[in-house]
Amino acid sequence: MLADDDDDDRLFFKDAFEEIKIKTDVSTLNNGIELMNFLTQPDIVLPHVLFLDLNMPGKTGLDCLKEIKSIDRLKDIAIAIYSTSASEEDIEETFVQGANIYIKKPHEFSALKKVLEDVITLNWQYHTSGLNRDNFLLSL
Amino acid sequence: MKLKSLFTSSFFLKSIFVASLFILIFISTFLYKHSVGLIDSTELLVHSHKVHLELEQLNSALKDVEINQTGYFISRDSVFIKSFRDSREKVTRSINTLNVLVDDNLTQLNNLDSLQKLITLRYNILFENSINLTDSIPLNAKRFNKSLVDGKAVMTTIRNQINKMIDLEKIYMIERQERYEKETFFTPFYSMMLLLFSLLVFVFSYFKINRDIESFKKANDVLTIATESMKHAEEIGGFSSWQWDLESNTFTYSDNQYRLLGVEPQSFTPSIEAFIKFVHPEDKHIIANGNDQVVTHQEPSTAFFRVIRNDGNIRYFRSMGKFLTNTKGHKILIGINNDVTEEYLISKSLEDRNHELEKSNKELASFNHVASHDLQEPLRKIQTFISRIYDKEIDQLSPLGKEYFDRIQAAANRMRILIDDLLLFSKTNKIEKVFEPAELNQLLEAAKQELVQLIEEKNATIKSDFLPTIHAIPFQIQQLFINLIGNSLKYSKPNVAPVIRIECEIVRAGDYSILNKNTNDAYYKISISDNGLGFEQKYAEAVFTLFHRLHNNSDFPGTGIGLSICKKIVENHHGRIMAESTPGVGSTFTIFFPIK
Repeated sequence: MLADDDDDDRLFFKDAFEEIKIKTDVSTLNNGIELMNFLTQPDIVLPHVLFLDLNMPGKTGLDCLKEIKSIDRLKDIAIAIYSTSASEEDIEETFVQGANIYIKKPHEFSALKKVLEDVITLNWQYHTSGLNRDNFLLSL
Repeated sequence: MKLKSLFTSSFFLKSIFVASLFILIFISTFLYKHSVGLIDSTELLVHSHKVHLELEQLNSALKDVEINQTGYFISRDSVFIKSFRDSREKVTRSINTLNVLVDDNLTQLNNLDSLQKLITLRYNILFENSINLTDSIPLNAKRFNKSLVDGKAVMTTIRNQINKMIDLEKIYMIERQERYEKETFFTPFYSMMLLLFSLLVFVFSYFKINRDIESFKKANDVLTIATESMKHAEEIGGFSSWQWDLESNTFTYSDNQYRLLGVEPQSFTPSIEAFIKFVHPEDKHIIANGNDQVVTHQEPSTAFFRVIRNDGNIRYFRSMGKFLTNTKGHKILIGINNDVTEEYLISKSLEDRNHELEKSNKELASFNHVASHDLQEPLRKIQTFISRIYDKEIDQLSPLGKEYFDRIQAAANRMRILIDDLLLFSKTNKIEKVFEPAELNQLLEAAKQELVQLIEEKNATIKSDFLPTIHAIPFQIQQLFINLIGNSLKYSKPNVAPVIRIECEIVRAGDYSILNKNTNDAYYKISISDNGLGFEQKYAEAVFTLFHRLHNNSDFPGTGIGLSICKKIVENHHGRIMAESTPGVGSTFTIFFPIK
């Protein structure tokens, strides 16, 4: 699942998953408020991995991250930060708040596909158990 | 301190004075008593003499009586009777005088008493009897003779009695003489003692007073100089002093206080009311509050306020005070007023400038954000769409369209490099700088690792001395090596394998004009020289300017940021960087890092 206010990015995201030869169920939401409204509904199937854009109007990705981590039912969802910037402050802050991985949006479609494939096939068990600052930022 | 010692000295003097006074009174009293004793003993001595004399007179008077009697018996001339009676008068007078004189002495009084009885017996009975016998005719010779013999016997007893008295008086005289001599012996001694002691007190007082006067004079001189220098200091320093006696509610202003207010010294009587007239209407409450604090809480206050001089000039004052207690025990607030107008205006303009700087810094930070995020985002999308078209739609384009499309891609890539470099540059500028020991050899290796592809491509040789460990921001130093070595590789001569030499030595600041010559601090001098294209020495400074480029973009693609980053990094480490180059021979970039 992806929450991103930019429709181009949502398009790239969906296109990339279509081309990846792994069976996935992709859904997108337009901003943080929509995301939180969706997640707080009862009786829904929670996503395995949530891709979270940081810079969103209304509720930023960081706000959503904090809220998700404070709700028992949601706090175990694997969260991948998916942002244009890779500033030290953002990386540090989201890591401290409990995000699992940080992806800087690539500027080539092929790279995007590779990143998403890596994330999907990632051993989440390994990535969620230990807090590891060194491999938090996914290197391309 | 000095004042205190003077006080103790005066206390000491007072004690000495009182003690001396008591001793003097004591000695004087003693001397007086002694003198009185002396007078007494003199009087006693004189008294003894008188008694002695009177006894002698009595003796001679008695002899006279005897002689006259005998004369009468022989001549029977009445002249003798008359003299006899006169002599008897004398004897009686003498006895009377003696009676008065020996009144205080019981022994002599008793002696005198028996003497008197004997004399009365002699005259009244024996003399008169003898005379009567002589006068009677016929003369009774037998009775007459007996009367004469009796008279003689009584006379002898009388003489003995008188001699006894004289002897006793002589003993008295000797005693009194001794006492008198003793007393006269000690008199000069006591007088001398009084004189000497008085002299001692006098001399001591003289020296002490003299010395005190000297020290007072010195203290006065120091005080005069201090007062004068204070006056000048006040004029030079633009401050004034004041005193506020809280008990009597009186004020004292220094001359400069008036000058600071723009009026003639001592031109009005100091008071709160008079002073507050000069204070800016908006600041009057500051003075009022400060005075309140002083009066009610006994706490000195520091005030900052404006004063309007008579000529309309506005000055900024800072007032500070401190409590003291004067010699009368009055609580006194002493303070200074400082005319801080110039300092205030300077600090205000500095503050304004700081605000501007802060503002522009914030703008820079927001620019940083725009560059890092907002500019990157559309570019990233453009690049992603370009890659999408390359992947799927490239075949649909005509050859001309393809060529244009290649140029679009090149332009987008260049923009990506520019933005990344700009970000790197602003990151170098970041406030947080964590210095730690950095091993330059390791950082150089890491830099070479980053450039490994280019090094292999150009077949370059990099030779380096053993480099030291310095206190630095490691990732910045690595960036510095990357940029400088990268530059050497980039601007190498075509078809000539680049040779890059990295050397290091310890130098002194005094030997290099680029460093602060006044200190002789030690520096690490690290030079990176190549055999590349080089450039005109006149560009040696320009190459470090942001966006400054010496080459065409088509020949050597670049942003003109790399060396600016190098300069910034070196400056972050309090070092210096300079370039030396000869076209066609090569360039040398020299970095100086201070050794701490």
